[in-house]
Amino acid sequence: MAKIILDNIAHTYEPNANNPIFALKEMSLSWADGGRYALLGPSGCGKTTMLNIMSGLVRPSHGKVFFDEREVTSMITEDRNIAQVFQFPVIYGTMTVYENLAFPLKCRQFPEDQIERKVREVAEILNLQDYLSNRAKGLTADQKQLISLGRGLVREDVAAILMDEPLTVIDPDLKFRLRRKLKEINDKYKTTLIYVTHDQNEAMTFADNIIVMDQGEVVQAGSPKDLFERPQTTFVGYFIGSPAMNLYKCSASSQNEISIGAKAFKVKTNINSNSDNLKLGIRSEYITVESEHSDNSLEADVIEVEDFGNYKLITASFDSLKIKAKVKRELDIPSEKVILKLPAEHCCIYENNKLI
Amino acid sequence: MPRLYTFLKYFFVVLWACFVIAPFLWAISTSFKDFNSVTGGATYIPWLQFEPTLDGWSVLFKPGSQGGINIIGPYFNSIFVTLTASLISIVLGTLAAYALSRYTFKAGIVKNNDITFFFISQRIMPPVVLSIPFFIFLSSLGLLDSLAGLILVYIVLLMPIAVWIMVDFFNRVPREIDETALIDGCNPFQAFFKVVLPNSVPGMLVAGLFCIIFGWIDFFFAFILTFTKVQLLPVKIVALNSSITPWWSLSAAALVSVAPLIIVAFIVERYLSKGNLSGALK
Repeated sequence: MAKIILDNIAHTYEPNANNPIFALKEMSLSWADGGRYALLGPSGCGKTTMLNIMSGLVRPSHGKVFFDEREVTSMITEDRNIAQVFQFPVIYGTMTVYENLAFPLKCRQFPEDQIERKVREVAEILNLQDYLSNRAKGLTADQKQLISLGRGLVREDVAAILMDEPLTVIDPDLKFRLRRKLKEINDKYKTTLIYVTHDQNEAMTFADNIIVMDQGEVVQAGSPKDLFERPQTTFVGYFIGSPAMNLYKCSASSQNEISIGAKAFKVKTNINSNSDNLKLGIRSEYITVESEHSDNSLEADVIEVEDFGNYKLITASFDSLKIKAKVKRELDIPSEKVILKLPAEHCCIYENNKLI
Repeated sequence: MPRLYTFLKYFFVVLWACFVIAPFLWAISTSFKDFNSVTGGATYIPWLQFEPTLDGWSVLFKPGSQGGINIIGPYFNSIFVTLTASLISIVLGTLAAYALSRYTFKAGIVKNNDITFFFISQRIMPPVVLSIPFFIFLSSLGLLDSLAGLILVYIVLLMPIAVWIMVDFFNRVPREIDETALIDGCNPFQAFFKVVLPNSVPGMLVAGLFCIIFGWIDFFFAFILTFTKVQLLPVKIVALNSSITPWWSLSAAALVSVAPLIIVAFIVERYLSKGNLSGALK
């Protein structure tokens, strides 16, 4: 177990090109020992590259990697003592489930009795105890993925377990249970878990810390609450939350007031900028339905009300802007006009897509 | 409609089966005939239409002094040369193919694909182009008319097949399996031998089948590079021919020489299905 530090890391897959495209732009990041992280971002944003740099499958074009004080940048994968689980199950098809789970320990020459104890323990956690003597090749896709996961879990001393969208092929119910299991494992063994996903719910429910990436850059790192309430960029606001954050072009009319078209809204942010690229962002969860006008309220035309069972989603239009508001299911929504309030304390102001 | 489709399907399968089996039946019946039965018009049923005789078969096993050709020596020579050359080709070809599939090579403008093509290009040349270089090469090594010389030449001929098949096979094996083995604590050699290789047996069997077929049926190089000390089966069989074509013993020889290939094909056949070749690991 170790603290993992990425020091000015950058990586390109075309080092000899004149204008190389960087899959990972220069960044520094540290992962606390025993932390539970999610690496979140759209496909192709550099998540997997970052994992591969940590596990040593990819050597970064720039920068250094440290496990605690020890520099491991040029250390080969097998010496790093790290576990990695890939998106699709990777099993050793010619071996039994037991041999698959025992393989990482056998490679590291653990004593036989210790291997057996650990394999049985992990098999029990993953509900694989009945299949130990079966050939791994004949199992279902999710059982195979459990084996991949199990091979990561048998070693207690790993620096970290890196998981690259490991639950993609697993059915939803088992997914939920496995995520909880992973949390338990993290609590019990204090193993650093780094979980790559493009599913925000998965990230939010799994991790203490979420690192959001976009186009090879870390755009925000923080707790699920930070990411939800104060997205640092419009990308995070848009990417996290369902539905995405409402974002509108606006202009500053005074220090604590912005206007969208002719309508003025009070905000808590001190705006000292005359930039013409200002945006107002507000989560649909914070927009309320009012019975009469007050500060920061507007009258919008209801386009659609969708009932999601536990909440209703109102889609309304105001001055050709679309507003989405998530409200309690019990609430009666007028069918034509609705008064919506954008509370000042939940309004985020972005200049050039960055939070002020 | 579905009934018609089924009927046509089976009709063509039966037709094809007859097409494949007929030459064998023809050869089997001919091998038990003598000169008169062969030249006296088409006959098919033994005892009824012609009197079966073992003359055709006995020629194959009688020594030259008794008018036979004794194929036993050449038969085992052929088996030995084909198996040894195929085995070495598979071992070298698999290693080369793995390297070509997993690592990037670059020497000037030459890259992985060019190296793979170089291997395959050995098979594009007509054999006659290679005959003189091979002859000079073996004669300077003192390996003309020897089993070792033939094995050497066959490795050159068979390895491209092995490389070609195995590069394709390894390209379909996900890289993650090697990477997982590295993460689990193997070095690259252990990853190859402990994890990748055991999973590549189907590919190697298929490559082996092709090597064995191409090695076994070669007549040209066996004819040019051997004289009296060492003889392979195809050369010996051709030596049967004389002014009167001995169809009976030629048929017997053809059956004897095709038998090992049929046995090998039956063993390897189940690995030839698509499922075994692609995605053998996932």
